Amino acid sequence: MTTGLPTGFEGWVAEAARAASGRGLEWLEARRRTALEQARAQGMPTSKDEHWRYTSLTGLREQAFALPTEPLTALQRDDIEEALIDGLDSHRVVLVNGRFIPELSPLEALPKGVRIAGLAQLLESEPDLLQGHLNAVAGDDLPLFAALNTASLDDGVVVIVDGGAVLERPIELVHLSVGLDEPRVAQPRNLVVMQAGARATLIERYLSLGDSLYCTNCVTEVSLGRDAHLAHERIQDESPSAFHIAGLYLRQDTGSNYVGINVGLGARWARTDLCVRFSGEHADCDLQGLYLAGDGQLMDYHLDVAHELPNCRSQENFKGILHGKGRAVFDGLVFVAEDAQKTDAAMSNRNLMLSESAELDTKPQLEINADDVKCSHGTTVGRIEPEMLFYLRSRGISAPIARRMLCLGFAGEIIDKLSTEALRDYVTEQVGQRLESAPLS
Amino acid sequence: MLSVKGLRANVGDKEILRGLDLEVGPGEVHAIMGPNGSGKSTFAHVLSGREGYEVTGGAATFEGQNLLELEPEERAHLGLFLAFQYPVELAGVNNTYFLKAALNSIRKARGEEELDAVSFLRLIKEKLKILHLDDSLLKRAVNAGFSGGEKKRNEIFQMALLEPKLAILDETDSGLDIDALRVVAGGVNALRSPERSVIVVTHYQRLLDYIQPDYVHVLAKGQIIRSGGKELALELEEKGYGWIETEGRAA
Repeated sequence: MTTGLPTGFEGWVAEAARAASGRGLEWLEARRRTALEQARAQGMPTSKDEHWRYTSLTGLREQAFALPTEPLTALQRDDIEEALIDGLDSHRVVLVNGRFIPELSPLEALPKGVRIAGLAQLLESEPDLLQGHLNAVAGDDLPLFAALNTASLDDGVVVIVDGGAVLERPIELVHLSVGLDEPRVAQPRNLVVMQAGARATLIERYLSLGDSLYCTNCVTEVSLGRDAHLAHERIQDESPSAFHIAGLYLRQDTGSNYVGINVGLGARWARTDLCVRFSGEHADCDLQGLYLAGDGQLMDYHLDVAHELPNCRSQENFKGILHGKGRAVFDGLVFVAEDAQKTDAAMSNRNLMLSESAELDTKPQLEINADDVKCSHGTTVGRIEPEMLFYLRSRGISAPIARRMLCLGFAGEIIDKLSTEALRDYVTEQVGQRLESAPLS
Repeated sequence: MLSVKGLRANVGDKEILRGLDLEVGPGEVHAIMGPNGSGKSTFAHVLSGREGYEVTGGAATFEGQNLLELEPEERAHLGLFLAFQYPVELAGVNNTYFLKAALNSIRKARGEEELDAVSFLRLIKEKLKILHLDDSLLKRAVNAGFSGGEKKRNEIFQMALLEPKLAILDETDSGLDIDALRVVAGGVNALRSPERSVIVVTHYQRLLDYIQPDYVHVLAKGQIIRSGGKELALELEEKGYGWIETEGRAA
């Protein structure tokens, strides 16, 4: 079998091929097969590929990953206690190594018109419900990792909020990785469908019990109907040995509003692709990001926002703190088509470098083909101002704490946008802890 | 309390302080006046440990400890406080959080118990009243978007909260209108006590109408060339610095 993919990926591809038997659903089999062919045809990207210019795949390709196994059903509520956030009152869904675990996902008291279920479950019980939605937003032209995810598409979470339904409590998807004897790949697929006028907050968390080596290759598809509203808060806090690959595919209809907050803290190597399309006018998309990269870490964000229709607004605001030998990549593209008049787009990437050895590649781009638009982009790379540090120290605050306060001040702009206090406190704590142990050079 | 002897300091290759002597005892208020470029602010900064100055000679001790070898935060722990001429804006750093961190750092360094949130807020409300400050200031980021007057009042507010043994006010009067000046001076006066000393660095005599000094020193070209009582400030106001500089050289 020639796959054009290196050894390390054989496991993925083999699994994808095996999964292609697709639960007896012809449409699903067809989608998986197409995706597998796409993955094979693309092969591994090289540094000549514009989308992978600054991000080396060497570490990932040298690593052999085993096939996913059966769900870990032995886990009890107590086992996952450490993964929960104090005071966060949510409709919680727990996945372990990419598999939906009903026993840990007590989905009671869901309001009327809200459906949350495991993807594999629904593929068995109500496949017709999914046929029109799965892959509808991501589309058929998938980049390698999304193609691999689709080729073995089987489990994950489905959230469907009916027209006009409103969720007061946030939905929380806890993607938990538990170390097994050998490194594994988890490829969960999340599907979020917000019908016209629906409103919800969705928290998506990726984390691990322990610090084992594994890979998450997740895809989340979100479609917002007319005037729907979604706050989508994603906290990537994977194990320090892990690889994390995430694809978000978002489609927004007329008048819809999306606020996405992407926090990247964990993993040794993390790649996130955010892809936004509008299917109606007067939609508003706000993408916020905060990433921290320290020794041995890479945080890579790729944004692809296309304004094909007029009168939509998008904002992309990403902030990074780099310390030690941390590396980060920000590659953002906002495209404005010829007919997309009155587009309002502002992209910004600001970075705070705490050490000389940290490295950043930032490339915000606007491609504008319409003449009546308001678009801007900007990027900054700065250090902690000695003046600020001295001011704090002159008040008796030690240099490390002063530095942490200034960094949290910088990060606060993004953290403050999280919709629940429990999550704000959690992220502040996590960022603070990492900065505390950060070497300064 | 503070003893400075023959202090010399450079900024880059330029010598700014050229053998400065000053003795400040407990409870005393000293005014240091002088023309622009005389080294007033440099002196305040060197005492508080700001980077960018090279001390090339002399000594500065505070209650017997060598100040010059201490980090800025260690000087604050000893009881030194600098009210900045240009208070720095700290975007995103909440004022209450900052004040609590500062107070508790100092208390901890002194072996005192840290204040909990309730006792801290009670203390802060009390201090706010002294400076006629609105508590909305507590919710804002440190100095961010503050007017010039608010920034200066926030400095004095911090001083009131941290209760230093020696406060150095670096041109606190600059950019203040007369009402703000009165409030700031009132705050300083409220803190005067037999144990607490103040060094007021200023270009103009005006502030000294409100904060009455025990001693006035004239700094020129990095040295104190004249010392006297508060009447010296009035004399300077009348005759200008030219008079004393000429006289100083002649002497």
